[in-house]
Amino acid sequence: MARTRRPRRTRLTIGLLILASITIITLDYRGDAHGTISSLKNAASDAFSPVQRGVDDITHPIGSFLAGAVNGGEIEQENAKLRQQVGNLQSQLLAHQATANALKSLQKLDHLRWAQGIPRVAAQVVSLNSSNFAATVELNVGARNGVAAGMPVVGSAGLVGRVTSTSSTRCTVTLITDAGSAVGVRYGAASLDLALAQGDGIGKNLDVTYVSPGTALHKGEVLTTSGLQNGIYPPLIPVARIRSFSSSASATSETVSAAPAADLAQLQYVDVLQWPAAG
Amino acid sequence: MTSADLARCTIVLFVVLVVQQTLLDSVRIAGAHPDAMLLLPIAAGYVAGPDRGAGFGFAAGVLADLFLPTTFGLSALVFCLVGYGTGLTVRGLVRSSWWLPPIVAAGATSVGLAVYAILGSVLGEPGTVTTSLAPALVVATPAAVVLATPVVRLVSWALPAVSSGHGAGIGSGPR
Repeated sequence: MARTRRPRRTRLTIGLLILASITIITLDYRGDAHGTISSLKNAASDAFSPVQRGVDDITHPIGSFLAGAVNGGEIEQENAKLRQQVGNLQSQLLAHQATANALKSLQKLDHLRWAQGIPRVAAQVVSLNSSNFAATVELNVGARNGVAAGMPVVGSAGLVGRVTSTSSTRCTVTLITDAGSAVGVRYGAASLDLALAQGDGIGKNLDVTYVSPGTALHKGEVLTTSGLQNGIYPPLIPVARIRSFSSSASATSETVSAAPAADLAQLQYVDVLQWPAAG
Repeated sequence: MTSADLARCTIVLFVVLVVQQTLLDSVRIAGAHPDAMLLLPIAAGYVAGPDRGAGFGFAAGVLADLFLPTTFGLSALVFCLVGYGTGLTVRGLVRSSWWLPPIVAAGATSVGLAVYAILGSVLGEPGTVTTSLAPALVVATPAAVVLATPVVRLVSWALPAVSSGHGAGIGSGPR
């Protein structure tokens, strides 16, 4: 009797759990429970950020302690002491270099030649893509700092992406390399030609579509935001540089690949442009 | 399941979440990173059978979904199915070998990622199958082999020992 009851209970359990999952997915997909789900995500993000900072603070000293493990014997102790002093000096030097580099990065952001006049919020990247199926980064600024979903994010070299969700202290930015990202761009000598730069996944080049065959292009040519798409992005922000282009006789459009202008693999400091998306 | 078991399960979920968010998310190869959260339902199914594998998977999935930009509930569904499937697959096994958890983890991780990508694609997540699946498989599957043993030990501490005929018989971890 128990043998037949057990599988039935198991089937009931898995059935109920699948039903619960599909219900949650449907509610999120239709947007019916968007407010509740967003509130839950925001609360989780805000609650977790101190833990994340705390763990970072803990793991650094552990690493230093392991690196400076003490050997036995007087001479070894003296050597260790000297090594520690050298290490401290080197770490001070590295800290100064790191500070100088950070300052340089921030100064670059202060002297951007594009998006002049648009108020901006300086931010630091605190974590990289949390999913293997989306190209995103998390910044240390949120709604409390005036950041809202839809705002463009730029680095010192060009467009990085767009804020897709915010909590009070953090925000998630979908990068231009995400497979779901599409940015309207201008190119050509007079920047009159229009195309679409679409993401193709983390670390990959952008696919530039709607370029007429036979168009005069050159390697290294800079694509800038068009300012169209209902004003999602301000105009003339560098998006990518053309890496390669080709076209066959029967093709209806040129095959163009472009590398993001901003170094998305080494992001540290960025600016969130307080640019209200029209849509 | 007693309140002590629930407390242990909560601790394990929280510890693995912290490790995932603070350490493993930073280990990026070709844009992908190891996925310890997916190992939770696999370990639960392996240790405690399909029933608890599905339940533990659902809880781990909802928790993971709170920190992911993808559709809310997708991880809950996939983790639930993975926990159930792993439990069913290893059901007949009575004795465990040291090499069995890594192999089960690698196989179940590959299947889990593929199911996630396919369901994500059905739900309109762009590029999950065509762009993201291959790097995720290349990085997360070998990482699952390495992380399987510690995660299985952690989960076997949290979940109560199962009766014979369910799981691979290593559910009696240290208490």
